[in-house]
Amino acid sequence: MLDVGRHPNIELLAYSEVENVEGEAGDFKVTVRRKTRYVEEDKCTGCGACAEKCPTVVPDAFNEGLGDRRAIYSYFAQGIPSTHTIDPDHCRQLNGKKCGICAKTCQAEAINFDKEDRIVELNVGAIIVAAGYDVFDPGRIPEYRYNEIPNVVTAIEFERLLSASGPTGGHMDRPSDRAVVAEIEALEKKVRKSQKALDKLEEKFNEPSAAFYKKFQAGQYQDDEDRQKWADKYAAHLAVIEPLEELKKKAAGFTVAKRLAFIQCVGSRDFRFYPFCSGYCCMHSIKEAMIAHEHEPETTSSIFGMDIRAVGKGFEEYKIRGGNNSNITYVRGRVAEITEGPNNNPIVTYEDTRERKVKSQEFDMVVLATACAPIKGIAALAKTVGVELDKYNFIKTSSLSPVDTTTPGIFVCGCAESPMDVPESVAQASSAAERAAEIAFQPELEKEKAVA
Amino acid sequence: MTKDVLVIGGGIAGMQASLDLGDMGIKVHLVEKLPSIGGKMAQLDKTFPTNDCAI
Repeated sequence: MLDVGRHPNIELLAYSEVENVEGEAGDFKVTVRRKTRYVEEDKCTGCGACAEKCPTVVPDAFNEGLGDRRAIYSYFAQGIPSTHTIDPDHCRQLNGKKCGICAKTCQAEAINFDKEDRIVELNVGAIIVAAGYDVFDPGRIPEYRYNEIPNVVTAIEFERLLSASGPTGGHMDRPSDRAVVAEIEALEKKVRKSQKALDKLEEKFNEPSAAFYKKFQAGQYQDDEDRQKWADKYAAHLAVIEPLEELKKKAAGFTVAKRLAFIQCVGSRDFRFYPFCSGYCCMHSIKEAMIAHEHEPETTSSIFGMDIRAVGKGFEEYKIRGGNNSNITYVRGRVAEITEGPNNNPIVTYEDTRERKVKSQEFDMVVLATACAPIKGIAALAKTVGVELDKYNFIKTSSLSPVDTTTPGIFVCGCAESPMDVPESVAQASSAAERAAEIAFQPELEKEKAVA
Repeated sequence: MTKDVLVIGGGIAGMQASLDLGDMGIKVHLVEKLPSIGGKMAQLDKTFPTNDCAI
């Protein structure tokens, strides 16, 4: 990533979109919209002082909504280019409210609310489409209750929970427990505020609130307006403290998730959604189970799948290693339903096809191995660029020329072509680069021919 | 004179294609929709089958 940012031959147009493509192989005219960040990229040092002061909290897309960011943000800490961006949908200043705190904080004077989108015209010989994929939305499978049970997460959400730079710092804190902790924090803030107000009143009347409230309830001070307000405030304070203590008691029993279930083929190999196999999900479930076991050695994992497809160099050995060293059990069977049991524990109901029995098992957390779906904007992108799609909306290629699209001079690599893992994406990218280079070098080759 | 190449998408595939082309001496324009390059792989903690760091 760093190499790309530094490479003298690569012009990085991040936060940009291709708007129009005209021409043919060897001579394409491309229009690119460089969306404004409202931050001068060459001035921003990436120090992050603006984001510390920004009052607007927004769910963080990089952390799959499990963490927060501000309206001015760096997409992720090591992001390239290392500049900040203002989110125009949430920024107070850009939505007509009074703010501009970031501009006052920024010592580099990089913030410019008047900066507009720029249109860049490029002339290129070849185009490589590497638009990637989207994670399948498991909310479309009602029986897995992804939107209802907080401790049912997708594999990429789990990946962020595992990451040391993620929202939990690498601890397997369950989403339901994190919600309780967040509620405790919010209530504590409320209590601190009301305590402050009560302190002032106690000082004014020179009496502790509890003693006063007893007298008030016994019928004293009924005509005193100030004391009436004091009593109301104290009652409201008590109303917050009780649920807070309850939640704190609950939170004291929280531990990290130790019993994990991984459910394979969520959206793929399913005739309701995508009949194809996404290829990499078996392996990432094994990997996530292994890493979770590394973080917490008591972790046990069950991987539920029709079969485990470990096809690749070293993959089968990896699967066996997971079973031997990382407490992973491979269960052959398709999960029929996930329900919620006590303590927000998901209960998985499945058919064990080896024993031909329907079983139920309780877990701390369930991870869904979601299908590799085409990106949402792929139809629009394909139309802009001028390439055809296949029946699943991946970019159409043929088996004998797997990186050539239907249009000469335009190539494809990575999951925009079909589901594939990282090593395969890298190999296909090099292949697409070589095909594009053939066209890029064409004028030189022709010149050489003419000389010869 | 060699022609430039446009790469759409700054994930692992787009980055690898850009680097290969750049190393061949070809000028590359890498367009990414999001504020930073890296794509899905930057979100991953580790990669199989070696459990190497993704970033």
